[in-house]
Amino acid sequence: MTDSLSESLLGAMEQRRGAVAPWLGALQGQATEVFKREGLPNRRVEAWRYSDLAKALRDDPVADATPVVPPSLQRAALAAFVDGALDDNASSYAQIGAVNLRTALGEKDSPLAAIIGKVYPQAGHPLVNLNTALLEEGLALRVPAGTKLDLPLHLRFLWTGAGSDGRHLRLLIQLEEGAEATIYETHDGAPTFSTVVTEFTLAKGAKLTHIRQESFLAGARQAAVTLGEIADKATYRAFYFSQGGQFARHEALLKLAGEEAHAELDGAVMVAGGRHCDNTTVIEHAAPNATSNQVFRSVLAGSARGVYQGCIKVGQVAQKTDARQLSRALLLSHKAEIVTKPELEIFADDVKCSHGATAGELDANALFFLRARGIPEAEARAMLIEAFFGEALDKIENEILREAVAKNVSFWLTTHAGEAAHVE
Amino acid sequence: MLEIKDLHVNVHGKEILKGLSLKVPPGEVHAIMGPNGAGKSTTSYTLAGRAGYEVTKGEIDFFGEDVTTLAPEERAARGIFLAFQYPLEIPGVSTMNFLKTAMNSQAKIRGEKELNAAEFLRAVRAAAKELNISEDMLKRPLNVGFSGGEKKRNETLQMALLKPKLAILDEMDSGLDIDALKLVAEGVNKLRSPERSFLVITHYQRLLDYIVPDVIHILAGGKIVLSGDKSLALQLEQNGYDAVIAKAA
Repeated sequence: MTDSLSESLLGAMEQRRGAVAPWLGALQGQATEVFKREGLPNRRVEAWRYSDLAKALRDDPVADATPVVPPSLQRAALAAFVDGALDDNASSYAQIGAVNLRTALGEKDSPLAAIIGKVYPQAGHPLVNLNTALLEEGLALRVPAGTKLDLPLHLRFLWTGAGSDGRHLRLLIQLEEGAEATIYETHDGAPTFSTVVTEFTLAKGAKLTHIRQESFLAGARQAAVTLGEIADKATYRAFYFSQGGQFARHEALLKLAGEEAHAELDGAVMVAGGRHCDNTTVIEHAAPNATSNQVFRSVLAGSARGVYQGCIKVGQVAQKTDARQLSRALLLSHKAEIVTKPELEIFADDVKCSHGATAGELDANALFFLRARGIPEAEARAMLIEAFFGEALDKIENEILREAVAKNVSFWLTTHAGEAAHVE
Repeated sequence: MLEIKDLHVNVHGKEILKGLSLKVPPGEVHAIMGPNGAGKSTTSYTLAGRAGYEVTKGEIDFFGEDVTTLAPEERAARGIFLAFQYPLEIPGVSTMNFLKTAMNSQAKIRGEKELNAAEFLRAVRAAAKELNISEDMLKRPLNVGFSGGEKKRNETLQMALLKPKLAILDEMDSGLDIDALKLVAEGVNKLRSPERSFLVITHYQRLLDYIVPDVIHILAGGKIVLSGDKSLALQLEQNGYDAVIAKAA
């Protein structure tokens, strides 16, 4: 804890303690103590072995282009964040009942305030701790029982560059019994350092669809964690799309807390150049008859590195668990790399758990078939790459969002046509 | 139209074609028959321009142009079509999108106008109706969940839409029962025209009962050892490859 970055972060922690809500000061104080002891996550910690945040933050920043403001979605409630600050004038989130985090945390005993720091075991998580100690802004959404939100909530983050201490956001989402909501979270530009921690709880029969789309520029450094507790018969459907960055990591730490709870995660990673993209998941089955299914697809070009760490924990009570995970990677260059680390911890005896990983090049037979029909090589490759993600895209129910994400995939293929077309 | 001159081809460093020569005039149907390992598939892949099929000597002239060094898509745009022995299933690529991309890519390479959506739909519907291909098949991802017969009919549909000048049918009958084979052959026969030639590559005489060739060539040991009319197929059927090849030598 002697280097300047850690000292600067520590200074910011002292300054921000209790700033968002005075009663949070105690929690932030504890988090600061943990940070003093543990410091920034680095490769000596097993969970961060392939994604060394401490090193990435000390490395020289990658020079970047100017970020482009993403278009507003039709038919969505917008929460517009610019460099981590919520721009209320540009936002329309109030129409679906979302509130500014400061408002939500105003009273310690309000229902949303009650979940902060409490969703899923997070004690000792270095990134969550850091975010708690430094949190500045965010948004909270509570959907009352039986309410199905018509409009998706678009959390639009635009990063034009930020202070050296970074920007640290917290999102709180609570779906009461039978409630349904869709969240479309987009990240554009390049934060010098940002953390986003999302905590959600789904009561019985609730359904949350969460689409995260990271379209970072090359110099982005962000670590995000989504923590969720899913009650009986509730469903969490997630689509995580990422183009990586200088450092981009998203963790989904989920607890299937009730019977027949379900988590369905689809990941799509498209990384090129020297970018880094880490998807880490921990799914805890803590009740019988719960199901989880995750498929992470990665396309890696240039000398990019993808990391997928998937941990499934099945507690002793969680009989009849059905948990599956799969990592599929397409390596478009000989210098690209995918690290896949499955972990299964099973303490129940009547369960179905599976994991698998594949890594390979584009199918030469399929490529020849398309070319023999007159489709030029670059276009044929792009078609096969789009097809690789097609199954995940098809699962997005909201048509506007599906098209927005598909457009993002096509845009990547256009802007990285050179890297996608040639094997180095 | 097609003239193959003294073609030598290596695959994985091993010489498979050893001086194949062949002429196919416009409008004719030629069959290449041969025993296993004769070089039948190598011939079709080499004509279509597949990577890994290295031409070490000789040339492939198509309308007077040597296409030996052209990419597969360039050959396709010039009118060479390979109907695959085992058409690929490509999940995630819709049949319609594939057809449209293929037609428009070829038009672009040839410097022709691309079809608009309405023109494309009309063309596909007409061709599909002719070949008894349902709307449902067109909606599915390319060949995914298709039966053997459906896959071959889909190949025929592509041929009908892409209007090649030379269609190479590589073991068109594999994986087909007799009814499916008849249906596919019927589709192919509808596409016969004075401007279009066919090269039918097959192990068995059976297919040639339905797609009747003008000329039959027997391929053995990487070259054509015997050419003749359709009666050659019957000789093969009665006496077997060994006897017929021995007699030719």
